[in-house]
Amino acid sequence: MTCAGIGQIAAAVRGRERSAQEVLRGTLADIARGNGAINAFTAVTDRRAVAAAAAVDTAIAAGHDPGPLAGVPFAVKNLYDIEGLPTLAGSKIDRDRAPAARDAALVRRLTAAGAILVGALNMDEYAYGFSTENSHYGPTRNPHDTTRIAGGSSGGAAAAVAASFVPLTLGSDTNGSIRVPAALCGVFGIKPTYGRLSRSGLRLFAASLDHGGAFCRSTTDLAAAYDAMQGPDPEDPTCSERAPEPVAGLLTRGLDGIRIGVADGYFKNQGVPEVFRAVEKAAAALDITRQVEIPAAGVARAAAMIITSVEGAELHLADLTTRAGDFDPMTRARFLAGALVPAPWYVHAQRFRRWYCAQLVQLFRDVDVIIAPTTPYPAFPIGQASVQLDGQRLPAAGSLGIFTQPLSFAGLPVVAAPVAGAGPLPIGLQIVAAPWREDLVLRVAAAGEALGLFAAASPPSLS
Amino acid sequence: MADAFDPEAYVPQAAAALGLPIAPSDLGDVLGALAILARVAGVVMAFPLPEEIIAAAVFTAEKGDA
Repeated sequence: MTCAGIGQIAAAVRGRERSAQEVLRGTLADIARGNGAINAFTAVTDRRAVAAAAAVDTAIAAGHDPGPLAGVPFAVKNLYDIEGLPTLAGSKIDRDRAPAARDAALVRRLTAAGAILVGALNMDEYAYGFSTENSHYGPTRNPHDTTRIAGGSSGGAAAAVAASFVPLTLGSDTNGSIRVPAALCGVFGIKPTYGRLSRSGLRLFAASLDHGGAFCRSTTDLAAAYDAMQGPDPEDPTCSERAPEPVAGLLTRGLDGIRIGVADGYFKNQGVPEVFRAVEKAAAALDITRQVEIPAAGVARAAAMIITSVEGAELHLADLTTRAGDFDPMTRARFLAGALVPAPWYVHAQRFRRWYCAQLVQLFRDVDVIIAPTTPYPAFPIGQASVQLDGQRLPAAGSLGIFTQPLSFAGLPVVAAPVAGAGPLPIGLQIVAAPWREDLVLRVAAAGEALGLFAAASPPSLS
Repeated sequence: MADAFDPEAYVPQAAAALGLPIAPSDLGDVLGALAILARVAGVVMAFPLPEEIIAAAVFTAEKGDA
């Protein structure tokens, strides 16, 4: 498997130690050999990739700089537009859509930096799920135990990085769809501040809450990819006009001056013991003694569920009305139910969001970074419908967002970091900061990585 | 309102009024999904908010957004 990181690959290609075409050949061979067991890819864009890699090599031979991600293979959740392919968003219905006329904005930014797109990745239908148990395209399997889920909805994106098919993938996160699969697959993920990265050319799910983001095996890779994707985009009205604020050069600054707390109350219930042990391990390693109570976190999760259901259903109302039977049985009833939600529930949820965000801004006057668990339990077997938690029987997939939903609801930047040696299956933590402080979450993640606290897990077959 | 919500009474009538067909084989799951949403809506609706708290969307006449 090609385990080299972004920095190593780009340095080797730019330094003419390896050609982009040689890197690509290895990547395509790894995917061909390994994807059958994992089912991460729904399309491999090999012809396009071969042409792009040749162009990078030609540019280097001519003395031009192809960019900081020269020759780095990457793949994207199949809700990102890829020129010439229909954007599936995990659905059967959208196979019939016209092929995308051009790449999504984030794909264009990565390729402009020299990266090579190699394919599209599996997901829950229309991003409405946390397990990537897709009935149309099959489940994505966790590289650490292929009988278990990879998490979702960006399950293919997390699994492709966990299996080291590629060093970088893009996902999207509405309620936890980057952070949950990152935790379950043992890789790093970043969900930046709402509005930081353009969503132009990304098939939306619930526009009030949708974020683009990335998966990698290290914080340096994550920062390099994130920096390449920042910047305003008038084609996405939610995309901030802030100029790029690069973070790659800040990662080694350590923890000096950063006030860190552990999320208390809500975030210390409804999980299995090993998840809370991972939080305690992080608190000890990072010397955290402060506890932080996020107010009304449970209400925030509830409000996120209402907003998601309504906005998701509205986007697909025409298809729900005329061809509901073509929806994945895993999503169909929830989409139909969302179409019937009384309007006051939605408006109150949106009004609550305003109140909640104001409370969190206050909270971040006293603390810079908050550590919280990512999921209440590690990956469960594919097909498992329910879990027993604190004496309650809960939906197995639906409850994976207990700890992620209250944070994305406020649009806060989060790095999902895998805790080294947390157990037989990967467990991750969320590192959270005030809006626009991606620099802080990445610094804390990098400091934890340097201490050996955080590390991408290696699947048994790869170690 | 959310606490008194009765999905079994509401769903068939609301779906018919909206012209949203629900297959008999899906009805049970839709009722279940809406019951979950009603339960969490009860949590949201019970949270008191001052009238001056408005949703965060910013509308401008020339662009339709901020």
